Amino acid sequence: MTFSLNEVEATAKRATRGAGYAWGVAEEAAKATRWLSAQGFDGPAILAQLLKREFAPCLERHIPVLQNGVWVGEQDLCPLMTGTAISDSPTVLSQSTISISNLAAPLLLLPFVAAGAKKLGTTVKVSFDGYSAITDGVHLICADCSIDRADHVEITEGGHIQNGRPLQSRAAPNAGAWQVLNSMAHRTYAPATEESRLLGAGSGLSDND
Amino acid sequence: MEPHAQTEIARRDPATVMRLSRLGSLHQCRLSFMRQLTRRMADENWSFSRPAFEIDDKGVGHAVYTAQGPDRAYSLVAFAHDLPADQRSDRVIAEAWDATFALFDGIPTPEDIDRLSQNVPLQEAGRVSETELSLSRANRSVRLWTHVVDRLAAGQQPDLEQIYQVGYLMRTTAVYGSGKFGAADREKTADRDEVSGPFQIEMLSVYLTRVFVRDLVQYMAQVKGGDQTSALDPEIARWLGIGNSTGLGMAPFIVNHPVLFNNWIMAREEAISRVRSIETATEKDARVFRDVFARSRQSIAWWQSEHPIQVEKLAALKDDLNSIGAFLATDDLTQDHPWDRIIRWSETALSEEGQELLASLILEPYGDVVDGLSSCMADTNAAAQVIDGTVPVSGVRTLIRNSFDWALDLDWNDPENCARAWYVSEEKLEPRLGERFEEPIADYEQPLAPARDAALAFKALQEWPDDAPIAEFLLRHPEHRHTVRRAQISRVAPYGEIHDNTIGANVMPIDMLRAKLSFFGATHFDPRSDRWVRICMYAGAPYPDELNTANADLWVYPEVAQ
Repeated sequence: MTFSLNEVEATAKRATRGAGYAWGVAEEAAKATRWLSAQGFDGPAILAQLLKREFAPCLERHIPVLQNGVWVGEQDLCPLMTGTAISDSPTVLSQSTISISNLAAPLLLLPFVAAGAKKLGTTVKVSFDGYSAITDGVHLICADCSIDRADHVEITEGGHIQNGRPLQSRAAPNAGAWQVLNSMAHRTYAPATEESRLLGAGSGLSDND
Repeated sequence: MEPHAQTEIARRDPATVMRLSRLGSLHQCRLSFMRQLTRRMADENWSFSRPAFEIDDKGVGHAVYTAQGPDRAYSLVAFAHDLPADQRSDRVIAEAWDATFALFDGIPTPEDIDRLSQNVPLQEAGRVSETELSLSRANRSVRLWTHVVDRLAAGQQPDLEQIYQVGYLMRTTAVYGSGKFGAADREKTADRDEVSGPFQIEMLSVYLTRVFVRDLVQYMAQVKGGDQTSALDPEIARWLGIGNSTGLGMAPFIVNHPVLFNNWIMAREEAISRVRSIETATEKDARVFRDVFARSRQSIAWWQSEHPIQVEKLAALKDDLNSIGAFLATDDLTQDHPWDRIIRWSETALSEEGQELLASLILEPYGDVVDGLSSCMADTNAAAQVIDGTVPVSGVRTLIRNSFDWALDLDWNDPENCARAWYVSEEKLEPRLGERFEEPIADYEQPLAPARDAALAFKALQEWPDDAPIAEFLLRHPEHRHTVRRAQISRVAPYGEIHDNTIGANVMPIDMLRAKLSFFGATHFDPRSDRWVRICMYAGAPYPDELNTANADLWVYPEVAQ
């Protein structure tokens, strides 16, 4: 069974919120997961990998600060917070090489770098622990890989896109990962009560008329 | 010749337009999505067929209706069921319906029908695929259904008065599109001319559903009446629309899609401003307006509601109609910016229902000025969602003030101002509105209070230097990220924010529902509570075999016997 990318995005948003992130960050996670899925990666599995690390309760420890030219955190960096720092201010991509130390779920950084590249109208190369990726925002060159953290990430402007990954319109996420996202999403749903069933949505009138 | 300035009367201020009571008084107009669809199908000479109608004597089976446009075909696959009365509920928590539907992209094979027959009747509990564009269901109006079947079976025609007052034989209780339950994402069809406009897939699905319902009622009458059964008079059939019963699920949509909602409102506001800017109207234009006004009075005369708020609004609207009638008796509406004059007059003379009806009606003579705006109503601006972190803190404060100045000094801790909370119940993931101080729901609150959130973000921003880039603030305050995004979106979407409190003790969610439904082209809004509304779609519209360029547009206004 395949899922629509809209389902991937909606589930990712709820799951990220359920994991304790703010709504605005959950929106970013959702778009990022969708983008990875469109590139043929298992976006939901990559997001599930991050959310299982439970960064949200002490997020300040996972937010990047610039130290001696390297983006570092107290602990492993969150790719959503690191990613938004790039996509919010994409000119950092063209100023000099960005070095990032100890990044969780590094593939989740790619959609944010892509958004920055698209805004700048440029191409950007990302290297992480022996892997590399190139994107212009729409297309992506990157070998299939599964990597749950990277010691060192470097991002530089440049590179050339030819034969990017074929774009996908459906997702077939790993069933276990999809289940993880759904159970995290479930934390955002209020338990139903008979009172809320009636008062919260309906009219209480018969529809048999 | 100097090009003529197209617009001299400015668009109305968002602070006026985007109040909930006004949004809750909007009426259909030339830009409505149903009318966009029927105009297009007539202009492009679409053809229609019914490749299958396999229904048994109990009314159970399936049918297929295919609409063939210039480039592609779309097929409604309909399943008819024998629903026990005790299971008939319009609520999303229902699990069985009188009829269920999918709109198929192309022409389905028998294997497709078989697959759909295993899934479509289950609705949310089933799965559809990338070849399906929408999923929907409908329940009978029991009273009118029985009346029409019985009359036809007895060799008679149904009573038109009853049809006018109910308006439909079946009402849809959800029409899901855009990737829901496995269906194709909007991206699959967004570049196709014929369905690139908002909700064109859903409107097509409902248009074909109406044909199916007409055929089904005739068939069931035939089963009952045999040889003596009458064929439903086409003049009567035309007044059978399709109802829709809508709950809270629709309210979050207009908050969650600020660019899209802006585009709808802005297109209509631009149309109003263009028409108001016309210096002189021809006699013919003025006549078209008078004609449409008279016909809309007829439609409003059929508009029934038992809900006290709508009863009051309808009484005011009927007074407004009399006032407009009196105005028309003294003014031929040809000279001296006639449409601007009547709109200015309405601002103090009429209720909001009447003002918005009039604002929609003045567009009718001017299809050449207005209809092109249809192409601006989709959201094609994905880039608007990307935050620009280089904007200084002072810039974001200004943007927040533009939309929410009125909200910044409100005491958001006062229970009156935050009495409600929007949440999603675990039951079928249904959006609900609850009492924050009486139910344990605050922890589950959805971000559907942009005004309160704007006030909170504004307060946090006060502690930051004016020239700090907003990205720095967001790194430390991710909890305000959604608010900063909305503030930046407001630069391209001035009508994207509701200028009212969506969680106050007095909020009326039906206002949000009506705003959206009016753009579909719905009529006869009939609230069943403050969060639940029934409407009518396509009443008066030509059926596929009658559709032509002469009747494709003004069908929403009943012809008045002279």
